[in-house]
Amino acid sequence: MSKFQGLDAYIRRDGYELLPFKFDRLEGDDYVITNMTGEHLVVPMEELRALLSKDLAAEHPLYASLRAKHFIRYADEQAPLDLLALKLRTRLSRLAGLTSLHIFVVTLRCDHSCPYCQVSRQMDGEAFDMTPEMADKALDFVFRSPNPAIKIEFQGGEPLLNFEMVRYVVEAAKRRNLVEKRDLEFVIATTLSLLTDEVLTFCHEHDIILSTSLDGPADLHNANRPRVGRDSFERFEDGLAKARNVLGVDRVSALMTTTDKSLPRVREIIDEYVRLGFNGIFLRALSPYGFAIKTRKFMTYNTERWLEFYKEGLAYILELNKAGIPFVEHYASLILKKMLTSNDPGYVDLMNPAGAGIAAIVFNYDGSVYASDESRMLAEMGDQSFRLGNILTDSYEDIILSDVLLDALEQSFTLSAPMCSDCAFEPYCGAEPVFHHAIFKDVLGRKSESSFCKRNMTIFKHLIRLMQSDASTRRLFMQWANAC
Amino acid sequence: MAGLAELTFDSQLYGVDAIQKAAYRSMHAFTLNLKVEGGNMLCKLIGNITTEQDAFERAVEEFRKDVLDYQLRAQLHAETAPIRNLIMGLAFSNARLN
Repeated sequence: MSKFQGLDAYIRRDGYELLPFKFDRLEGDDYVITNMTGEHLVVPMEELRALLSKDLAAEHPLYASLRAKHFIRYADEQAPLDLLALKLRTRLSRLAGLTSLHIFVVTLRCDHSCPYCQVSRQMDGEAFDMTPEMADKALDFVFRSPNPAIKIEFQGGEPLLNFEMVRYVVEAAKRRNLVEKRDLEFVIATTLSLLTDEVLTFCHEHDIILSTSLDGPADLHNANRPRVGRDSFERFEDGLAKARNVLGVDRVSALMTTTDKSLPRVREIIDEYVRLGFNGIFLRALSPYGFAIKTRKFMTYNTERWLEFYKEGLAYILELNKAGIPFVEHYASLILKKMLTSNDPGYVDLMNPAGAGIAAIVFNYDGSVYASDESRMLAEMGDQSFRLGNILTDSYEDIILSDVLLDALEQSFTLSAPMCSDCAFEPYCGAEPVFHHAIFKDVLGRKSESSFCKRNMTIFKHLIRLMQSDASTRRLFMQWANAC
Repeated sequence: MAGLAELTFDSQLYGVDAIQKAAYRSMHAFTLNLKVEGGNMLCKLIGNITTEQDAFERAVEEFRKDVLDYQLRAQLHAETAPIRNLIMGLAFSNARLN
């Protein structure tokens, strides 16, 4: 006779209690349910109804998963509440650090004239360059941030056209950091077209990362990125080889922008990234700012067409991985980190409260301070709605506590926004006040008509469907989510 | 011509919030005229000028499902609100947010 009771003796019969969660329909009769920290399960409609009416039996195959992911608990259990609270704190822990990314627009001058470019491209004179006085004041601001990790990113125009200012800021920041002792990182966003040995030596000496742009094969890249000589791609490829040789392969990353010319060529674009030795690609849609609006490039394709492009690209990337070529789609990877871990990747577009100002901030060449890169792009089109102040005349407190910033953050907060507050995908999504202001002239926007909402909802559902339909894809996505 | 549909919901089974939230979600396809008569809520759904008939009919079908979903969400939300507040309290009580 056994000394132990059978398993039946340990099954509780006192019924379960519901914990907070949200649900949304997927395809057919399936629903996705998400808890406060973004953990999710896919549940058929009948089971969801049974769950809500407390009729789901303890023997049901879903029961253990629902308890493990904190959708239900027994009334006397405290651990699920403590764990949910801990995960929630972890997920939101970035907020306490405040601003990490500080963007210095050292010049608006550029040697390219891309039709979708989001800012101006004046070539002559120094009227479009940041001055040392502005840079000093901006650095005062940077080191007021309580964040232990500070990233300074140089943007333009083409920042290498004002390389002396890049040098000035890096050296001054490092001097200050002898006392501050922050985790200080520098990035230059450059097309690589003006890369010189002098620049590379400086980048190597100061451990600077280069973030560059690659739109696909040579003909597509050159068509998207016109410059005198029509040699943007050739300069890029030459610069990439030199930069990797001096700085290391992992110190150069690339971003692409999708134009109407890119749409039928997603496989070729990805192949070009693979050929050039990149380990991933960020498939991005055009933003409704700056020259993309003025030249009507933003209107040349709709969200549905971009989503087709995205899905085709993601399917091809999965094929490559299954064929033994490790390659990541970075946007999916950011979302999967939110779906499958308790960490938030800190991607500004997918943050709530919005990342504007409190995750990233921009010091423009003219001393203006903007809530985000997109905010200064709007400003170049004459819309100063997200100008937080001037670095020469306003204090840190004036800027970071300005009504412009706080109102935008509060009014766009998704947990109190119509539609968003009930949405099961809210833990994965972002507030994006600047995008919605650009489209609706309202930081909240009408989400049922928002292409941001449509694009992200479709991608969230698509990623869940892919994980549901194929165990190997789920394993691969787990790797993407947990990659550093 | 814009699509038109009329639906009736029993006020004892559905809250007005559920209908309004479902209508907000469908705003890209139609707008709602809502009237309460006796124990019923009468919904007149008027297709947007830009909504084709097929798309309007699909949107009406989605609306019916959404009304039920929002009604269930309201019940779930009411039932779990005290626990949600408790979890928020546990998460942030020592956060020194002031």
